[in-house]
Amino acid sequence: MMTTETISPERVLELIEAYGAEPGAWPNEERAGAIALLARQPERFAAALSAARELDQLFLTEPVPEPRPELAAAILASAPAARPVRQGWIGALAANMFPQGARWPAGAALASLVMGVFGGYAYASSGIGYDQADAAYYAAFGLDTGEDWLVSE
Amino acid sequence: MCVSGLSELDQITRAAGGNRAAQAALVNRNMPIIFRVAYRMLQDRAEAEDVTQETFLRAWKVLPDWQPKAKFSTWACTVALNLCRDRLRKKKLVLMDQVPERVDTALRPEEALASQQAQAGITARIAELPDRQREALTLCALEGLTNIEAAASMNVSVHALESLLARARRTLRASLTSELAGEK
Repeated sequence: MMTTETISPERVLELIEAYGAEPGAWPNEERAGAIALLARQPERFAAALSAARELDQLFLTEPVPEPRPELAAAILASAPAARPVRQGWIGALAANMFPQGARWPAGAALASLVMGVFGGYAYASSGIGYDQADAAYYAAFGLDTGEDWLVSE
Repeated sequence: MCVSGLSELDQITRAAGGNRAAQAALVNRNMPIIFRVAYRMLQDRAEAEDVTQETFLRAWKVLPDWQPKAKFSTWACTVALNLCRDRLRKKKLVLMDQVPERVDTALRPEEALASQQAQAGITARIAELPDRQREALTLCALEGLTNIEAAASMNVSVHALESLLARARRTLRASLTSELAGEK
């Protein structure tokens, strides 16, 4: 990328050759430098600008048909239809979380998350599975296990 | 609802969700350029319309997963150009497979006059450019895309785009110069 100070006359000629005589068509980052150089050395670029301008003028005269209005209608007819509005707070929550629709992958991920959290909580609160190995583990770190099985008889 | 003030991403999100106003805005903003690019590549109105419609059919499918890495118009031009290339490739294959017929190649006077007039136009000269040069010229010089947008649409570097543009312009200038020399 060239700055105002570093752009060379050769590069300005390349810009004219590629993008034409209109500075508005030149790359943004090089435009200011190129315009400044053109102002300093107008005679150096006059021939290139003149040749490019001729082509630019021809491009402006090129007739191009516009699409028929029926085409837009046909395209819109193939567009996806709006989904029915969901009612209630679950619908509102889902609409906020999935503005483009809760499709299967997202829905499955959410269901997995909910089931995991619920299952983990239920397991932990039941106390099932809290065995001597767990108590020994906690005791090893100096935590009170509430168990008295380590006390020697 | 007025959707003209929305960002492109908002507009795409709404269009993907079935909002008719957003879909219409997306089509109205982008359909003309896609059609013109396709027309300039294929030189056939019906085919250009088919490509435009196919481009939007693909758009409707990808919009729900849209990632704002590029402007919609850049993505759409890429799709349209790929569809045009496929069609041009098939046409060339058909032309190569066809057995040339023995026909009288001499044009009737009125056909010859029409042909000369067409050849004199810049449209005909652009149509004769190699496909990649025509793509570059169409996107940059005729449709006003920036160099970065045009290069992204064509899947080439900006340097390669500039090279294609320069070659296209040189070819057109040489063609015009030789015509002027022929008239004298």
